Amino acid sequence: MKFIKPKDIENLYDTLDTTEQQYLLAGGTDINVQINNGIIRDPNIIYISHLKELSGIEETNNEILIGSTTSFKDVIESRIIKKYFLLMYNSLQNFASPLIQTSATIGGNIANGSPTADVIPILLALNAKLLICSKSNKREVPLKDFFTGYKKNVMKNNELITKIIINKNAEQKYQTYYQKVGSRNSLAIAKVAVAGIKKVVKEKIIDIKLAVGSLNEYPRRLFKVEEYVTGKRLTEIDFEKVEELLNSEITPISDFRSDKEYRYHVCVNLIRTFLNE
Amino acid sequence: MKISFTLNKQAVTIDVEPMKRLLDVLREDFNLLGAKEACGEGECGACTVLLNGEPVTSCILNAAHADGSEIETVEGISQTELGKLIIDCFDETNAVQCGFCFPGFFISSYHYIKTDGEKDLNKIKTALSGNICRCTGYEKIFESVMLACERAN
Amino acid sequence: MKCVKKFDAIPKLDGSWKFIDDYSYDDMLHGQLLYSTCHHGYIKKINFPANYNLSEFTMVSPKDITGDNIVPEPVCDQPFMVDKEVMHFGQVIMGIAHPNRKLLLKFIKETKIEYEELPAITDIKECLDNEENHFGKETIIDHRTKKEPKGEWIHHHNVYYTPHQEQAYLEPQGVISVYDPKANSMFVLISAQCPFFVKSGVEAIMGDAVSEVIIESPEGIGGAFGGKEDFPSLFAGISSLLSYKSGKPVKMILERVDDIQITTKRHPARVELDTWTDPITKKIKRCRIDYRIDAGAYQTLSPVVLARGVLHSISGYSVLDTFIRGRLFKSNTPSNGAFRGFGVPQALAAMEAHIDRIAADLNINPYEFRKINLFRIGDEFPTTQKIVEEHLSDCLERVIQKSDYHKKVIEFAEWNKTHKDKKGIGIAIGYHGGGYTGNGEKVLDSEVKVIIDKEAQVKIFVANTDMGQGAHTTLAQMFFEAIEHPREKCWVQLPNTSKTPNSGPTVASRTIYIIGNLLRKFAFQIKDELKFKNLEEYVKTHQNEFPKEFHKKFVPDKSVIFDEDTNVGIAYKDYSWAACVTEILFRADTYKIDLKKNWNVMDVGKVVNEKIAMGQAEGGITQGLAYGLSEFFYKPGFGRANGFTGYTLPTSLDLPEMNIEFIHTDSEIAKGLGEIPMDFPAPSVRNAFHNATGVFVDEYPMIPERLFKALEENK
Repeated sequence: MKFIKPKDIENLYDTLDTTEQQYLLAGGTDINVQINNGIIRDPNIIYISHLKELSGIEETNNEILIGSTTSFKDVIESRIIKKYFLLMYNSLQNFASPLIQTSATIGGNIANGSPTADVIPILLALNAKLLICSKSNKREVPLKDFFTGYKKNVMKNNELITKIIINKNAEQKYQTYYQKVGSRNSLAIAKVAVAGIKKVVKEKIIDIKLAVGSLNEYPRRLFKVEEYVTGKRLTEIDFEKVEELLNSEITPISDFRSDKEYRYHVCVNLIRTFLNE
Repeated sequence: MKISFTLNKQAVTIDVEPMKRLLDVLREDFNLLGAKEACGEGECGACTVLLNGEPVTSCILNAAHADGSEIETVEGISQTELGKLIIDCFDETNAVQCGFCFPGFFISSYHYIKTDGEKDLNKIKTALSGNICRCTGYEKIFESVMLACERAN
Repeated sequence: MKCVKKFDAIPKLDGSWKFIDDYSYDDMLHGQLLYSTCHHGYIKKINFPANYNLSEFTMVSPKDITGDNIVPEPVCDQPFMVDKEVMHFGQVIMGIAHPNRKLLLKFIKETKIEYEELPAITDIKECLDNEENHFGKETIIDHRTKKEPKGEWIHHHNVYYTPHQEQAYLEPQGVISVYDPKANSMFVLISAQCPFFVKSGVEAIMGDAVSEVIIESPEGIGGAFGGKEDFPSLFAGISSLLSYKSGKPVKMILERVDDIQITTKRHPARVELDTWTDPITKKIKRCRIDYRIDAGAYQTLSPVVLARGVLHSISGYSVLDTFIRGRLFKSNTPSNGAFRGFGVPQALAAMEAHIDRIAADLNINPYEFRKINLFRIGDEFPTTQKIVEEHLSDCLERVIQKSDYHKKVIEFAEWNKTHKDKKGIGIAIGYHGGGYTGNGEKVLDSEVKVIIDKEAQVKIFVANTDMGQGAHTTLAQMFFEAIEHPREKCWVQLPNTSKTPNSGPTVASRTIYIIGNLLRKFAFQIKDELKFKNLEEYVKTHQNEFPKEFHKKFVPDKSVIFDEDTNVGIAYKDYSWAACVTEILFRADTYKIDLKKNWNVMDVGKVVNEKIAMGQAEGGITQGLAYGLSEFFYKPGFGRANGFTGYTLPTSLDLPEMNIEFIHTDSEIAKGLGEIPMDFPAPSVRNAFHNATGVFVDEYPMIPERLFKALEENK
């Protein structure tokens, strides 16, 4: 077990290049629980919480860039976020708890990659991209293409997420929707989460982005459902068809927290409510 | 690793294993016993302290997080004027039962009153929603914080 | 009803009040339990991890026990540590101590035990549905008449299940044992409800090896709710053995995961009800109750829980022809134990739901149906104890009025016609007998002691602990108010078994009801004896008489006679009564119940300290609502909850607007208050769900997954 605190961002990239099987430690709200439970044993830790370049929210001409170690509290309290992304602002109010919001970081929630991660469906609905960097390379990866399996993603060992990028107009003129279903109203882990935005003109759905959490190995967009309802009037939507497509896109499971039948039906209900709203 | 930080307004430096839990640093290295361990996974708030003025669960933070920051614990906050005012309100309503969660509730209440302080039940409920109490059913805690909001203004 | 402030509130807020983990001793070791992860079987081999210096560890197993390997309990059948056969998950195999707690925890996590596994019962229904699986003595109340049921009577048969419930005191179980070789004594500081129970436990395991055992309470006990009634005896036994063997103080604090998984819980129950109701008079004419609880692997104190459950299982209704059969069932899970309510929440879960079911079938309002069947003065309990007051009926009437029940029933039905989400309103009633059941208080023979010193400081010595319920404030208040002595001159001392007489355990809502009322009488008696008007002045003028020590024993009412074999007679001298109404909103998309409003009216007799009493009621009602609505510990196929992430307690955002009123507070007697708030609220949520949707659920908790299934099945 090693603990490394890079001097600066350059030093971080060097460290990433030379360390094996490392865990990045920012807020630590997930990783410390895993270490304490013995799920992660003798990890090599690279501490990044002090690197100012990695946190903060900036506005460019077309985009909003959120540093990966920006805390949830800072996201919720950001005027920029409230101005451009009400979906995010409203949805994250009950993220974990006020105490966790202070420490937990948005990049951590993504990189940890839990199927239940709250922020991912929201960012998927906003069509966010991730800026992924290493010492020698910088690349943008759409969030929808980031995950490859349960807690697996496209990042190499020497890379890290530095920014989350969202187009400023991502939800402009869209109706937004978010429902997180947990066992209680605070400190809850999602049993089902649905986030969506839709643009409706003359009762016809012109565009829609729909994402779900806790229903697959990682949160994901429902492209087939989106494609089917796009261009349709609400009255034209056959919900049996929606269910059929949904069935091919989600794989709910039964676990200690909930049951697959329940998860499935709640997901159907929420999507129906969103489409009908 | 050597870390330096401000602890209840005093500059301190210690040599500590950087991954040691902040809660253990406070309890073992500084003998500050007000923060309690009840769940060990950030789920209950009994270990709440202020890190750079913000309430956090010290059981899932590390010594490393303390380096260069400002930490306030119940021992420090209870000596401030606002802290004393809040304690009086909790005392008057007989809100405290077993008391194990109360240093945490006290800190979350202090933070709420300091940063917002509006006498609004819903806001108060949200501000305290990271702290679990098994004894009180929360009612008397809300009552105390409402009273403290009124008096602090 | 003065509101004296709690003496310990400020130090608890500023963090200076010490709980068990805040104490330490020089050269102290940390102890932990190595427990079984197999449900039933034989231990073949224990493999300790390599890379540790085993000589640094102190280990105790049954062969180190200098006394008996049996925990003293109402039924002595549970060993401190696995003897031959592992009977349940979480059974203690060894105690292990080391100077470094973190290293010790790691060592234990890495220790692997090989078992020869035997068949095991771990599922609640598997345990309770199989009649051959019962053990111990049955508890029967036979109040049958010879009449056969009439043909026109309507028969209702239903089975109700309730799950485990975790006490979830915020402070985990903790103990420090300090062996003094010179004095050959064992000093134990422990977060426990009943110091004298712990004393018996430590004496049992140590046998003649030590000549004195002293148990003391730390300043703070971080909640208990029954969970620190009997487990501490076992726990302190092992820490003491470790201290004896190592010759060093040993502190043992459970990790939350372990505390949840291996300590005692509320007994899961299966209650089968058969009732016959006259459709004309709407009176329940005949009732048969089969009350079963899962004791776990050993009986320990379960027969006592069983008795209390059975005695409350008819709820508040007068049924002339009643037969109640109570049995304990066996499973390969840790023994279940005490939890606020002690068998009554399980009993009311069944009967209070059943009442709404009958009412629905008879097409009568649940309130009217209760009113018709509620017992009246002159009626009797199935034990033949006479009903002497109608305060239960008063509670019901008052809560119906306060909640505007009748108007809301109509309003909600109308609203529900046009909304996808549904509103519902439900009633439940309950009662709780104060103190030990039957002759228990006679057997306890409780004693209290008071010392008055030269400064007129009154020191009260009782064995009852303050675990947050405010007992030490209220007890002192009952004494000093009686003789108008200044508050700051009257204190309850921290219990220590070498200085405190045995005033009995801190259980069964008996602390204020038995000990408090006793102290009040005691105060008057001392006043009469010394013939003073003002104690301070008296002490000033009679300095040579002080310090003076006074002793008093509890004298049970001679008219209280109970036959424990036949369960005939007076089971409890005084009952507390309650009724509640809860309003919910059922969310159609997520199958979730939102608690909206909750009204409670309770008769707990004289209210000594209104704010403390209110706080007790609020906390108990919250635990009761969560019991019915959201808390679960075990899930078939997935096992047991793992820490506070798995066992989700209600947060500040999960509770209804709560309204509580105490009535009949002009009573002389302060009756039981601790448990009753836990007993009655849960069924009101279930009944509100039925009111909202027309569907009954027969099992707690009413988690959305269960409601979803219930609605699907009723489609």
